[in-house]
Amino acid sequence: MDHRPQAWGRPRDDVYGPYDASYLHNNQPKTATQSPIVTGTSVIAIKFKDGVVMAADNLASYGSLARFTDVKRLRPFLSTSVVGFGGDVSDMQFLDRHLNELAIDEAYEAEGCSAGGLGSSAQEPDASPGASKGQLNAANLHKYLTKLMYRRRNSFDPLWNQILVAGFDSASAPFLASVDLRGTAFTSPSLATGYGAMLAQPIMRKYAATEEDAAKLTRDDAVRVVRECMKVLFYRDARSLDRFSLAVVTRDGVDISEDEVLEQQSWAFAERIRGYGTQTV
Amino acid sequence: MEFGNSGFLNEDGIHLDMDRLKKGEVNLGTSIMAVTFKDGVILGADSRTTTGAYIANRVTDKLTQVHDTIWCCRSGSAADTQAVADIVKYQLELFHMMNGKPPTTQTAAAIFQEICYANKDMLSAGLIIAGWDERHGGQVYSIPLGGSLHKQPYAIGGSGSTYIYGYCDANWREGMEEEDAVNFVKGALREAIKWDGSSGGVIRMVVLTAKGADRHLYLPDTDYKVRHA
Amino acid sequence: MTSIGTGYDLANSIFSPDGRNFQVEYAVKAVENGGTSIGIRCKEGVVLAVEKIITSKLLKPNANKRIATVDRHLGIVYSGMIPDGRHFVDRARDEARAWRDTFKTPIATADLASRMGGYMQAYTLYQSVRPFGITAIIGGFDPSTDLPVDGEVGRGPSCGAGGKVPGKTFGGPGLYMIEPSGLYWGYYGAATGKGRQAAKAELEKLDLAGPGGESLTLEQAVKEAARIIYVAHDDNKDKDFELEMTWISGPDGPTKGLHQEVPRALREEAERLAKKALESDDEDEDGKMEE
Repeated sequence: MDHRPQAWGRPRDDVYGPYDASYLHNNQPKTATQSPIVTGTSVIAIKFKDGVVMAADNLASYGSLARFTDVKRLRPFLSTSVVGFGGDVSDMQFLDRHLNELAIDEAYEAEGCSAGGLGSSAQEPDASPGASKGQLNAANLHKYLTKLMYRRRNSFDPLWNQILVAGFDSASAPFLASVDLRGTAFTSPSLATGYGAMLAQPIMRKYAATEEDAAKLTRDDAVRVVRECMKVLFYRDARSLDRFSLAVVTRDGVDISEDEVLEQQSWAFAERIRGYGTQTV
Repeated sequence: MEFGNSGFLNEDGIHLDMDRLKKGEVNLGTSIMAVTFKDGVILGADSRTTTGAYIANRVTDKLTQVHDTIWCCRSGSAADTQAVADIVKYQLELFHMMNGKPPTTQTAAAIFQEICYANKDMLSAGLIIAGWDERHGGQVYSIPLGGSLHKQPYAIGGSGSTYIYGYCDANWREGMEEEDAVNFVKGALREAIKWDGSSGGVIRMVVLTAKGADRHLYLPDTDYKVRHA
Repeated sequence: MTSIGTGYDLANSIFSPDGRNFQVEYAVKAVENGGTSIGIRCKEGVVLAVEKIITSKLLKPNANKRIATVDRHLGIVYSGMIPDGRHFVDRARDEARAWRDTFKTPIATADLASRMGGYMQAYTLYQSVRPFGITAIIGGFDPSTDLPVDGEVGRGPSCGAGGKVPGKTFGGPGLYMIEPSGLYWGYYGAATGKGRQAAKAELEKLDLAGPGGESLTLEQAVKEAARIIYVAHDDNKDKDFELEMTWISGPDGPTKGLHQEVPRALREEAERLAKKALESDDEDEDGKMEE
């Protein structure tokens, strides 16, 4: 006999036949689509005149539990682009491995002894790394990721991520674009995923509403804006952390620092807050 | 009543393991952990297995060997985690024979992760992989529900772990002596057993060093003070 | 015993009565006609070099690379039938990819050599295939530092992993040569192709197995490799050739553990020295003649 409290007060199966529990079931369709479990929150990025700055905190949450506090969510690609991941961490790791293999294959092609590069790309060995022709730039990479994400959503097995891609396009102009788990792609002078889209994007737009505005920003300007946004996100996003990674992509390459700490936070005004209305002590 | 099958995480971050179980499945309610220390790693676990509120097994061994000095702690569905551990054990034995050298903890972690990730919608397995090998020394990897892979100085898992995040964070020290590390694991698991209804019974440990695997056992009726075997 | 007319050379899967596989021996002949390839293994890394015979003036200089990268840290050079070599490289890349997919870490040089040796050997067994017309040299540098599992996040303790065996080192340079029979060995220096005899003689003088290998720097190895290819080409003087060279150092060296083409400036310097060394050799010989 079933002694669990859930079964108390129910007619006994052995006396009355199997209990019809159908009304307890939710009548939603069954799906094979999984859901995110270990997750990262916002990624934010803004263009400036020589490139793009991107940031994401180092937290992987398990529901509301701040479970892993040293998770690096900005990944370099071919030392020319940066990919920032929000959403499911296992899918992020899958994509990271996939992009690593893609980078190896790209290098085979550029080498010129595979069928694709035969005779055509007589690259001198001293050609500056990363800038070599024939390699995927950030715009190419973003297009590739868009197709990949859209294909996976069409097979009802989406990769549960919101992704920002930063780097340069084929005309060597700063490039920034996003793609999400449905394959929806955007590009804009500044971009943010998750809570960042609500809290950070308005701030970034004050500085870079248009491409022209972004082209006036210096690297230091852009870094300062992004740091400010990370602070706001830490104040208001309950799944965020005060330790974050900051990436700057320029034509010279990718510069990622992974142990940034929020500075100059504003909390002392709590002193003046007493009660919730008329109370003054 | 049916257990929910939504697979969604509750806001408290605790009750997901239960929700993902299939109907009537045996649950390793569980408190598990693994820590690095000066000479290697230590794995630890309680011994309670439940179906709902009934204790199906009160002396379970949740510490499973997958190679000489590579072990794992299992939480989630007993059936799923046993099946996964069996597959990895086979793969690692094969690796040893084919390559003429023992697998590393990383090899084990990679194989565990691929299985957990590729079958994420069918498995409820929360695993901690801990091992010692000549090249890398002692290492701890955590593979939570979705199949992601996290390298950690120490890892805790299972429903009981949510009660000891504070204890562990406050008492953890890097590079401890073996005795201190054993006491850290024991202290943490005692708290988990105390507060988590799904954890209980004896405390089992395995110490992995250059000297091999060494089992510890501590019993509740001696207040977990005396080491048996 | 000759193979001609006996019929024992008509198929792969038939031994001759004295225990030879003639198809494999013919494959070796194909190798012996190919441009010379060499590999040098020294303490700091591996150098691969090939004598690329120029078969037409219409070919673009420095294009049509003959040394291929596998994964990031391995290089393959081969002598013999070039299309066979290309397929061999494709297969090696597949093996490296398969290893990464399974174990989420780069394949070790020895493991790739073992797998490719097995692959080559399989082509000596069946009626339906012919053996590879190449001998391949595989060079690599297995990381001596700890590598993450591909994709992993997080870190171990900041004090480093406990219980490491002190004084014991791992990884390092690796050099293997695989013959058409599937036979492979690890080498300090390897040479194959038309000029292999001369090249091997020069390699032996370097004493790579003894103190020579200990003291030889990677840059010196590059220069020696260039010189040896020039020496080996000496018997084949009527044909023009191009020198192609790659190298792989450890994580602290110039290539940071990657298989890369030797920088142009260093290669040209090495070629200049090689030519100079040859000329002085010639002068010595001329001098002797006059005596």
